Amino acid sequence: MTTPTPRTIAEYLEQLRAALAGADPALIQDALYDAEEHLRSEMHENRGKPEAEVLAKIVSSYGAPEEVAEIYVDKEKVVHQALSQPPPPRRPTALGRFFAVGADPRAYSALFYMLLSLATGIFYFTWTVAGVSLSLGLSILIFGIVFAVMFFGTTRVLSLVEGRIIEVMLGERMPRRPVFAERNVGLRTRILGMFKDPRTWSTLLYFVLMLPLGITYFTLAVVGIALSLSFILVPITHVLWSIGLVQIDWADHIHFNDTLIVPPLLADPLMFVLGIALLFGLLHLARGVGKFQGVLAKALLVR
Amino acid sequence: MDETDSHVRKFHKELSAGIVSLVLLGVLARARTPMYGYQIVKRLDETGEGVLSGKQSALYPVLRNLSAAGLLDSEVEPSVTGPPRRYYRITPLGRRVLREWSLAWIATRDFVNTVLED
Repeated sequence: MTTPTPRTIAEYLEQLRAALAGADPALIQDALYDAEEHLRSEMHENRGKPEAEVLAKIVSSYGAPEEVAEIYVDKEKVVHQALSQPPPPRRPTALGRFFAVGADPRAYSALFYMLLSLATGIFYFTWTVAGVSLSLGLSILIFGIVFAVMFFGTTRVLSLVEGRIIEVMLGERMPRRPVFAERNVGLRTRILGMFKDPRTWSTLLYFVLMLPLGITYFTLAVVGIALSLSFILVPITHVLWSIGLVQIDWADHIHFNDTLIVPPLLADPLMFVLGIALLFGLLHLARGVGKFQGVLAKALLVR
Repeated sequence: MDETDSHVRKFHKELSAGIVSLVLLGVLARARTPMYGYQIVKRLDETGEGVLSGKQSALYPVLRNLSAAGLLDSEVEPSVTGPPRRYYRITPLGRRVLREWSLAWIATRDFVNTVLED
């Protein structure tokens, strides 16, 4: 073994973090949480014994940091294989690739995320702005600090919730456990640490950003769906109407003043094709948005 | 000696993959109150032999996955003396799954035994 046996919990966690370097940040957060919970319980069970002695025992029962890292990376691979759908077969033609998105469940869930993001975006934004302003306003009172700490606590919970939504709908691996707060330090240091943690601020930034992003996503999705569906349905309705299967009361009274440039015989199939292309283009867009949002969330919500 | 050693280890690893989930569900189904990770690990440590005598850290991801699959419920409770603990309890779905798994386990065990006894 190249690394020395850890003597304190902090050392153990540091070594575990080093051993997991390069792994998914979300996986690292979960592994560190589990290890810290176990180590502290073991330490609590063996009160009075020197920390180094207890840790030596832990290394043989729970596993050395390198072993634990290996177990977690292994497990992640198995779970990932078990849970993810097999990658779709690669279509040989460009046209095939374009339409293959229709069979990708991820594209539909990303489209749904785009619609949902307006609601979550408004909520996150309101929560953040109200929380920050109240914290600042109350900061002249002692209670202001308590309030700010409570508010930051809620943003951590919210960021975990958003992480769940993103992992389920967009397929980006996000943490399932929060970050352990530092122990054995005073309340003052802990609160200061919360303010100094860049993740606190990047989480706030993410929540504020979610309003414009949510509005954009929602608008794109709604406009895209409405436009492509009407493009597809208009020619069908037109044909049905011309052969008399569908009656549209006001259609007979519309006069185009001879401004129709494209004859219906050409316009109908053209619109239909355009609508289909728009619909699949929208699915591509949704998948792209999903990827972008996953990367953004990982960068701002996970350390 | 070394030659068999690596084979035994590999076998343990493969064998434990499914059995650990079954054992964890079983322990929690028999528990009267919700249990936290460390407690479950210690319970297995007292009685565990064979394939389950691996590193305890392997149990935590399994607990998390069972919980993510809806077979276990979990909640965090702060404790007065120690660190906050995540308590797990089995869900009704977990109990139904455990029943199926137990049947599969018993059938497999009996089958393996008859093969080995011949």
